[in-house]
Amino acid sequence: MLQLLTDPNAWAALVTLTALEIVLGIDNIVFISVLVSRCSPRDGRRARQIGLSLALVFRILLLFGLTYLIKLTYPVATLFGRDFSWHDVILIAGGLFLIAKATHEIHAEVEADEAEPSAARVYAAFSMIVLQVVAFVVLIGMLAVNSHADFTSALATYSNHPGAFQAIIAGGKANGVVFGTSIAAAVAIIPFMVLNYNGVLYSYYVGGELRRPGRTYLYASAISIGVLVVLWIGVWALLRARIGLTFMQAQANLGVVNPAAYAKITSLSSVSGGLGYGMVLSGDPITKILFATAVPLAEIAVNLAFLTVTTRVLFAQAFDRLLPVGVAKIGERNHAPNVAIGIVLVIGIGFCFLTSLVNLGSIVALQSLFFALILLAGGIAATMLPIRRADLIETPGMPEEARKQWLRKVTLVGGATLVLALFTVYELVTHSSVYGKFSWESILTLVIVLGAGPVIYLIARTVRRQRNALDLNMAMRELPPE
Amino acid sequence: MWGKSKGSKERELRIYFATDIHGSEVCFRKFLAAAKVYQADVIILGGDFAGKAIVPVLTQDGMLRARVGGEDVTVPEAEWDRLAADIGKAGLYPVRMDAAELGQLSGDEEALDRMFRDEIAAQLQRWCDLAAERLDPSVRCIITPGNDDPVDADAVLAAHGRVECPELELCDLGPVTMASLGVVPTTPWNTERECTEDELAKQISDMLDPLPGGRPCILNLHCPPYASGLDDAPELDVTLKPVIRGGRPSIIPVGSHAVRDAIRRYQPVVGLHGHIHESRGAQKIGRTLCVNPGSDYSSGVLRGAVIEIAQDGSCLDFLLTTG
Repeated sequence: MLQLLTDPNAWAALVTLTALEIVLGIDNIVFISVLVSRCSPRDGRRARQIGLSLALVFRILLLFGLTYLIKLTYPVATLFGRDFSWHDVILIAGGLFLIAKATHEIHAEVEADEAEPSAARVYAAFSMIVLQVVAFVVLIGMLAVNSHADFTSALATYSNHPGAFQAIIAGGKANGVVFGTSIAAAVAIIPFMVLNYNGVLYSYYVGGELRRPGRTYLYASAISIGVLVVLWIGVWALLRARIGLTFMQAQANLGVVNPAAYAKITSLSSVSGGLGYGMVLSGDPITKILFATAVPLAEIAVNLAFLTVTTRVLFAQAFDRLLPVGVAKIGERNHAPNVAIGIVLVIGIGFCFLTSLVNLGSIVALQSLFFALILLAGGIAATMLPIRRADLIETPGMPEEARKQWLRKVTLVGGATLVLALFTVYELVTHSSVYGKFSWESILTLVIVLGAGPVIYLIARTVRRQRNALDLNMAMRELPPE
Repeated sequence: MWGKSKGSKERELRIYFATDIHGSEVCFRKFLAAAKVYQADVIILGGDFAGKAIVPVLTQDGMLRARVGGEDVTVPEAEWDRLAADIGKAGLYPVRMDAAELGQLSGDEEALDRMFRDEIAAQLQRWCDLAAERLDPSVRCIITPGNDDPVDADAVLAAHGRVECPELELCDLGPVTMASLGVVPTTPWNTERECTEDELAKQISDMLDPLPGGRPCILNLHCPPYASGLDDAPELDVTLKPVIRGGRPSIIPVGSHAVRDAIRRYQPVVGLHGHIHESRGAQKIGRTLCVNPGSDYSSGVLRGAVIEIAQDGSCLDFLLTTG
């Protein structure tokens, strides 16, 4: 027992655990602050004291119970051919609770009462963003100060496998991964780039346009392109120099095509990207915790974005009478669209189970094709708009000659987008070695995702016509002004 | 799920409702066309029909100069009709003047206000005449004011034989009675028709209390009910700039508590609302279907709602439209 006091590993473990507890403790404080902000100032003080005391007591009890909980790995139930232990059940239930609570808080913030204080909620959301930004900055710093040899040696230690770096590359070669740069890979990234560009542009544009109407679009476009060029090219160049292109390609692909072989070499997540490399390189527990927290936070942000967007889609469909109006019902107590959120959560969890049970082929290839098809639709719209509906994009008071030139320019940009999108789709379909192969399940999924809207529309319209209700066709019928 | 079956109930009345067109010529023309396209018995324009501003068009050396949508535009005088139509599309009033007149007006707020009101009244008169010319005699055309509409506009509507303006009145629509009110709770813009929540509640109850018990009614209240999802708008600070929280504009409910209480108390069949352009949607509050068709007048798009009422005054079906 006394040996523990002189063992440096034991002290390092104690420091790591203490740091971990401090971070989790801060998480408790933020969570309690979010909840307390709903109380009156007097009740809030009491609630905060009780909450923190209970958090302390439960934290100590759970630490004692932890050794017992982590041993609960024997199966207690079997679902869809998979075994579930109490350990799994506790993790799933805890995860669901956190997702539900976070969703509830975000929507409560969006639909909040005027008088309701929201500083704590904003602080919590802001802290999440700051944490991710800090993680990226630390990653860039780490890539700058470490050499390629530092990474290979750190990966060996991290994976507890002396030749992990070469083993992953060999595994990639054995599983048919194609190495090197290719025009197909460069083109296939375009849909993601467009999506990124739109996201950054939107965030700049919305805030700027509200403050300076009509003046921010070019400014926002320039900033968006600048930020993305620095981020994508800068970080990519650093990663290529320090980690190596061959390893990155082997690691990302081997994790997808042969996860079992990959898991035998390393426990590093194959989809964690640059932040994962940062975790390998980090020497101290605090930086490790920073990266370990930033990776799931980035995933949570993506999931919450999915939740928000899909909830809006359900809203739009309910207002267009494709779904019952009740789907868009705003809760009287919390002013949140509880029904829509519930449906999206169930669909999202169901889809997660589906992807673990059915082989959807390469999800990356599927996503690329999905975004490329959206780009294609945008290209067609931009090309046809000046021809079919010039009035929708004309600027008031524009002289006739300038108007013609403007319409010509829009057609040309639209046409160029259309050609680029067609080329991207062609490259994605014909170069499966770059982003993975499509399977009939993956194509079916894509067809369902893209076809769900029109199918629901046709069913709703047919049913409504049979019931002699208002024809859905009227909803988008253009009114003649003359 | 997808609209009530009308096997047992016959449709007695089809209403088309649009709102907040803010002086847009093209939207008003579409509003009139809606009667035929949607086969409506009654078309209702629910407030904020007045434009937002005057655009001075400077005449100089055979050219016309104006600032439109943040851009300086110069066109030959021969293109006046097209320029005026383009400005009118966005709900603005083009007024031709020379440099001397512009200088005189710039320092005279009273004259500027008078000119603005005259432009609104003249446009409204033109619109009423257009309604008389284009609408089938069997279609009722109801135009009620909103908080942005000057009080003088009521006289133009009242004097015209083709349109009805039952502001602060009960109006018989056959199977239902409609009560209309364009006043809203205090806004940061200090518009013409504003009052406190208590005053608004009193005006609504004074209007509805005489309604015979059991008579189905429609509430045409410009302001949407508070926290209904039909009243979400960006939060503004004291300088009227949007409040940004967490990197994005803060959105808050800005509807009326008095309107919400009235809907709960009187349980009308339908609540027709506007005022918050970006909060298009439909919500059920108790038994009442509340709709806010929203507004996209500056794009020349008319957003509206078609509502069907049965013989017994119940709401059979509705559809939000984009025309």
